[in-house]
Amino acid sequence: MNVVIVGASAAGLACLGTLLKFQPEIPITIISEENVPPYSRPLLTYYLGKEMTQAQMTIAEANQYPQNVKFLQGRSVKRIDGSRKEVILSDGETISYDKLLLATGADPIKPGYCDESRNVFTLRYMEDAKKIEKHLNESAVVVGGGFVGIKTAWGLIQRGVKVSLVIASPYPLWLVLDEGTGRFFENALKEIGIRLYTKNEVSKVEKVKKLKVFLHSGTSLEGDVVIVGKGVAPRIELARDSGIETGLGIKVNEYLETTQKDVYAAGDCCETYDSVYRAARVNAIWPNAMDQGYCASLNMLGLRVPYPGSIGMNSIKTQTFHLITAGILWGENIITYEKYVPFRNQFRKIAFRDEVPVGMAFFNAPSEAGMIANLIKKGEPLKINPHKMVAGELSPRDMFEQGIRFFSQSLNERRPL
Amino acid sequence: MKTVIVRPERCVGCLQCRFNCAVAHSQTRSSYTAPYEPTPSKPRIHIGLSLNKELFPNKCRHCNPTPCEMACITKAIFKDPKTEIVLINPDRCINCGMCAMACPFGVIRYHIYPANRWAAHKCDQCILRLGEGDIPACVQVCKVGALVFDEVNRFMDQEASRMATLIYWGIREKPVAEDVYFTLKAYKSSLEEIRTRR
Repeated sequence: MNVVIVGASAAGLACLGTLLKFQPEIPITIISEENVPPYSRPLLTYYLGKEMTQAQMTIAEANQYPQNVKFLQGRSVKRIDGSRKEVILSDGETISYDKLLLATGADPIKPGYCDESRNVFTLRYMEDAKKIEKHLNESAVVVGGGFVGIKTAWGLIQRGVKVSLVIASPYPLWLVLDEGTGRFFENALKEIGIRLYTKNEVSKVEKVKKLKVFLHSGTSLEGDVVIVGKGVAPRIELARDSGIETGLGIKVNEYLETTQKDVYAAGDCCETYDSVYRAARVNAIWPNAMDQGYCASLNMLGLRVPYPGSIGMNSIKTQTFHLITAGILWGENIITYEKYVPFRNQFRKIAFRDEVPVGMAFFNAPSEAGMIANLIKKGEPLKINPHKMVAGELSPRDMFEQGIRFFSQSLNERRPL
Repeated sequence: MKTVIVRPERCVGCLQCRFNCAVAHSQTRSSYTAPYEPTPSKPRIHIGLSLNKELFPNKCRHCNPTPCEMACITKAIFKDPKTEIVLINPDRCINCGMCAMACPFGVIRYHIYPANRWAAHKCDQCILRLGEGDIPACVQVCKVGALVFDEVNRFMDQEASRMATLIYWGIREKPVAEDVYFTLKAYKSSLEEIRTRR
């Protein structure tokens, strides 16, 4: 079996590692567009905060793999020939495959005012971080109230830079949090020294000596750089041009197979089943990508393991707070339960839809968060009293008594897609 | 490969495993000096109450596949290839909190390490003690057999044959006590009743 992996980040490397674990002999080719060895993208904000060096961010070296793994760096794929089972590189070389994994990832969304000559950057690749570092002096403007924006802001604050955060929605993390939690979180952000401009949008950026950023509300901000974190768009051009069905991302079934035979997709580029929305959705985060890469490699080996489904979840940790969120906290038929412990500056909030947990926000309470997040991922109705769940009285024993098993990836268990 | 097997129905909540765990992971590794170290060592096993007020010793299961290893963005969490124990490298950890989000059993906490650095903190199945030919600290000190260090398949065979024997004897004569821990359960339920009355 000859395996070709397109993309050498989370999903690609997870797939490679698993294939090597089970079938150490098979020839594998892994193609990466970037010239630097694979690094961890979520760490870029920590790189800006000077917590990490580039060497520490590297997660794999080309020479650490055995002889049968061919690492092609700085090469991009032009087209996939599904009928002849060949991958055509941009320099004309063709590589034949028996199984192909598309882990092309995602690109940041760039609004109209995005212009590198005016020091307006996005943060997704190592080059971006280096460019930002070069221009950064004492103040910066971050646009976008999602996880990327807030993590970037925190990274810059650790560097000693004054940060203004421009958010289009009424409060940070609007897609996930409900009003009350959002306000609480807003205060927590203000405490660590971020200046917030909510319900605002950048209208234009001018470069005089410093940058002048004009907002819709009329105020203007000054800064050395503008960093835009407005989410990501899956890179589907390669799949689309090769005749693979795509929507927002590459469409896959529950075995992570695309519409073309023997072509799999994993990571930020594909739409997988979301247990909360109960539909195909792109959840572009690192743990999901690793999970999908692992699952895709098992399917490549012929095990037929269905992908259990992903949820959007994330964790932000600063010196003063630690927020873990998963799923959604507002929407139709959603009832939320919350508990606030003032003397520990701690609260827990869990959202239910028809007795199925669909969302959570745990502030300064990391210990039980993983349990609830995995219950949300499971998407099964619970018979546990929700008031006790938010009070932190849940132990794994209750879940065993409920008959919930986290590692029941049995072959008969199938998810609709 | 031997692992720590938890039998929650036997746990009485004496918390000796927690104490011994903290001592075994301290720098001096002595119960006399461990509490006075500049960065006190923290236990890596957690005894929690369930909703029915039953005890559950909760520790890392060293799962395979490993959700925390997959979620770790710095590769600070890794699996020891020889022993298959999931370990944390505190020097690489940046304290981002992703592993706590991924762990389905809620065993990962964040504590300060002796090198004055905050990092993720969880059971390492006493890999140092195993190297010295010893058994994990929590198992060594458990008096009631709630924690057992054994191979899973062998232990399950042993339990199955024990169960078969019990069933065999149960058919022939009635057991002496139906519920072995009835006094403990009665005590717990009385505590619970007092609490609800108040």
